[in-house]
Amino acid sequence: MANTPEYNEWLEVATKQMKGKSPDTLTWKTPEGIDVKCLYTAADIEGMETVGSMPGMAPYARGPMATMYAGRPWTIRQYAGFSTAAESNAFYRRNLAAGQKGLSVAFDLATHRGYDSDNPRVAGDIGKAGVAIDSIEDMKILFDGIPLDKMSVSMTMNGAVIPILGMWIAAAEESGVKQEQLMGTIQNDILKEYLTRNTYIYPPTPSMRIVSDIMEFASQNMPKYNTISISGYHIMEAGADSVLQTAFTLADGVEYVRAAIASGMSVDTFAPRLSFFFGIGMNFFMDIAMLRAARFLWHRLMQQFNPENPKSSMLRTHCQTSGWSLTEQDPYNNVIRTTMEAMSAVLGGTQSLHTNSYDEAVCLPTDFSARIARNTQIIIQEESHVCKVADPLGGSYYIEYLTNQIVDEAQKIIDEIEEIGGMAKAIESGMPKMRIEESAARRQARIDQGSDVIVGVNKYRLEDEKLDFDILEVPDTVRTEQIDRINEIRKTRNEAECQACLEAVTKAAEGKGNLLEVAIAAAKARATVGEISDAMEKVFGRYVATTQCVSGAYSSEYAEADSESAQVIEDFRKRTGNFLEKTGRRPRILVTKMGQDGHDRGIKVVASSFADLGFDVDISPMFQTPDEAAKMAIENDVHIVGASSLAAGHKTLVPELIAKLKEQGAGEIGVVAGGVIPPSDYDFLYEAGTKAVFGPGTPITTSAGKVMDILEEQYLK
Amino acid sequence: MYKDPSYFIQGVLDHNRLLLARTITLIESTLQTHQDIARNVISELLPHTGKAVRLGITGVPGAGKSTFIESFGTMLTGLGYRVAVLAIDPSSTRSGGSILGDKTRMERLAVNDMAFIRPSPSGGSLGGVARKTRETMLLCEAAGFDVIIVETVGVGQSETTVASMVDFFLVLQISGAGDELQGIKKGVLEVADAIVVNKADGDNITRAKLAKKQYETALHLVTPSSPNWAPPVMTCSALEEKGLNEVWETITQHKKVMSATGELDEKRKEQALSWMWFLVKEGLETWFYNNEKIKDVLPGIRDSVETGKKAPTRAADELVSILGSDLLF
Repeated sequence: MANTPEYNEWLEVATKQMKGKSPDTLTWKTPEGIDVKCLYTAADIEGMETVGSMPGMAPYARGPMATMYAGRPWTIRQYAGFSTAAESNAFYRRNLAAGQKGLSVAFDLATHRGYDSDNPRVAGDIGKAGVAIDSIEDMKILFDGIPLDKMSVSMTMNGAVIPILGMWIAAAEESGVKQEQLMGTIQNDILKEYLTRNTYIYPPTPSMRIVSDIMEFASQNMPKYNTISISGYHIMEAGADSVLQTAFTLADGVEYVRAAIASGMSVDTFAPRLSFFFGIGMNFFMDIAMLRAARFLWHRLMQQFNPENPKSSMLRTHCQTSGWSLTEQDPYNNVIRTTMEAMSAVLGGTQSLHTNSYDEAVCLPTDFSARIARNTQIIIQEESHVCKVADPLGGSYYIEYLTNQIVDEAQKIIDEIEEIGGMAKAIESGMPKMRIEESAARRQARIDQGSDVIVGVNKYRLEDEKLDFDILEVPDTVRTEQIDRINEIRKTRNEAECQACLEAVTKAAEGKGNLLEVAIAAAKARATVGEISDAMEKVFGRYVATTQCVSGAYSSEYAEADSESAQVIEDFRKRTGNFLEKTGRRPRILVTKMGQDGHDRGIKVVASSFADLGFDVDISPMFQTPDEAAKMAIENDVHIVGASSLAAGHKTLVPELIAKLKEQGAGEIGVVAGGVIPPSDYDFLYEAGTKAVFGPGTPITTSAGKVMDILEEQYLK
Repeated sequence: MYKDPSYFIQGVLDHNRLLLARTITLIESTLQTHQDIARNVISELLPHTGKAVRLGITGVPGAGKSTFIESFGTMLTGLGYRVAVLAIDPSSTRSGGSILGDKTRMERLAVNDMAFIRPSPSGGSLGGVARKTRETMLLCEAAGFDVIIVETVGVGQSETTVASMVDFFLVLQISGAGDELQGIKKGVLEVADAIVVNKADGDNITRAKLAKKQYETALHLVTPSSPNWAPPVMTCSALEEKGLNEVWETITQHKKVMSATGELDEKRKEQALSWMWFLVKEGLETWFYNNEKIKDVLPGIRDSVETGKKAPTRAADELVSILGSDLLF
């Protein structure tokens, strides 16, 4: 491309201001591997097919609606839920009164995994990371006083999607709302669960059938309902960069379309009801471009299915600001981060948005922090005049260039997935997971080195920080309350009818019946989430994940940085080497996740980078009980156990692990804890015998250093 | 670390899981003092060993070894057997560290009280994989386990090493795009007591059957290691838990035949001898490299061989004669 005279002039001025250096030296390589120059001009976007369309018109790069927010702003939809159904219901009603427009329900992990609250496996999880739902009675309490014929309800549910959706529909019907009046979205995106979040129950094949059953049922009975929310959010939170997020999310989408078509539906009956869910991080312009690129690509990808309805290839999305980008340190900075990310989502053209509360790196949101989060959106909508113009950044050289880059790079990965045979096969091969984990390990290394700045964490850190806000804690009595209600239901229901309904669920799982249809009947017969899940498990079995772990990514990011960084790794390896020399073996650590929390980014990054530093690292299966984790620690004879918790179960699970180890004579195996743990819980954990607690944002070199301090004190003195 | 061998010996004989685990750590230790205790422990425990079925399993990455062991092991515990699994994971040559993730793929077996799974890093121990795995196997036998499964990744010499310490060596394969035989080394076929084609499920069944035929043909071209045993080729699905019973029947049948003909005893005797010779070789090597005089002259001799001033044969003679002269004093 020939440079214009103006460009050449600029180049001269720029070079002079750079004291003779070329401005090319300012080029920044993004985590996606895209080279970003310090200036973009019309020449950079000449002839690009992503440029020059209209909003509301194919290929939708500029947005799915013709007038975008000028016509109607995005829906403010805050994801929330905790404790009992009654507590959550009160919280929802307060939020709706204060300007929130749609509901988004967070369920606790026991519910996600299809366990009733009285199951001993989930003792530490009840009501912690979301609301506990065991039966239709809980569901009715959850939506008490909320008109389901008018309120759109989004539910984050993937594993136990059949019983939960069944109970919601049944609860609505019992309160007089018809199926066709129901509005909202069910996440129902099982593929990404195998990739990142791990709240699956059954193996992929029957799970994909569940997805198709729901699509089929809704296409016949619930015309206003979005049957799936294809989610990139969790992929991003697991460490994917924006290109990976785009590619894997859209590839998941294509897989669902194929599954639905294979089950006999025509593309235009379900594709208009597909919705997406993207995560927005701190790379401001990149994520604006990502949403534009995703819409463009989805339109392109859908053409292979020959849709006639234009809505079938129009990507509509919900967005959420990144929870991972929030810090425990100097937490009010999170308000600013969330605002930036919200702007990014808005300028990218999202259809609905959740903004995180500033305290989410530490605990569940309180009424106060939830208000600030909600107001972040209200202020953008109602004070900033941002909504007046559709796609205000359309035509920006830089944004259009980035859009095009993401389209190209993501397409390459999608092609690669197609070659493997689609996303389900790709997931089986482990490819996407490895890519995400490599990206996460590299990011951690850049943060630990300070080359990715996080204010208050690796730069401008406060000397003496005290947490000064209220912390919402879910009392353990929630579990007893839930168990009491389950017992009450089991006593009062018509047992024969209930069992017959459960048998029908098993039969449907074996054969051709629609699972959602029979689950609605079972819900009405007062069957519980656990019972309906078990009825399907009899046929489907429970899925066991295989864990892979990358190696070398963490240290190579250091090695590529500079010699000083490389030295950090070398010094650490000497330290672990010295331990080997003195004690006869390398420091050996078991990293484990107890409870039903499936967020494994933390332990993956820890495992991969600790191994890079010269540890022998044992990884436990997911969803361990303290008893099982203790057995593994003892058999593998590790020096120390690192327990990761991101879902508020730490106060129950960590002390229990310590007790189990002592009980079995292995008291010298120390326990350290890490993850989303409020500082106010540190003392409690220390008193229970925890050797160290690592909050969010702790650099790996710091946590590994502390672990070595503990081990050297114990074994070398 | 505890200095008294009886602490370990009694613990293992008491079937104490914690102490068995610690004794394995002792054996794996690189410290000479630990090795000295370990030697005592092993010789005291030796009379209590020999009763278990020793099973080696290998297969290329992706063959589903862990899933196979998960399903197979769970089946065995269901039949009332106590099962120990020893898995070897590669250590990084650069950092020395390792990721030991086997149990994430053996979720049910890992929490099963009838099972004991111990992953070990390949690096960082005297004598490498061979010594520690063999001795760990003996420990597990003394601790009352009925079946010991040694899992190895199909790289380098590890298959033949493992084959030389077990009674039954099982090679796990999967069917691919028709080129099954490319992935299998001839040396592995020679030591295999059975080949099992895994993942014979779903739309893969036909391909698995085809692969089975191809392996059968290939095995005909190899001289079987025993006159009394023609290694069979079988198919199974670890995922769907099909064909596992047949595998176990084959293993017990093998044991029956081998015991009846006396071959099992012979094999174990041979293995013990070759183990001794292995240790002798290793001991000699250590002795050689630790010899002060050798340490003195080695760099010079190495140089002259490299530059062509001295013939390698001559250099070797000189080095060995130094050891010999050392013995006179």
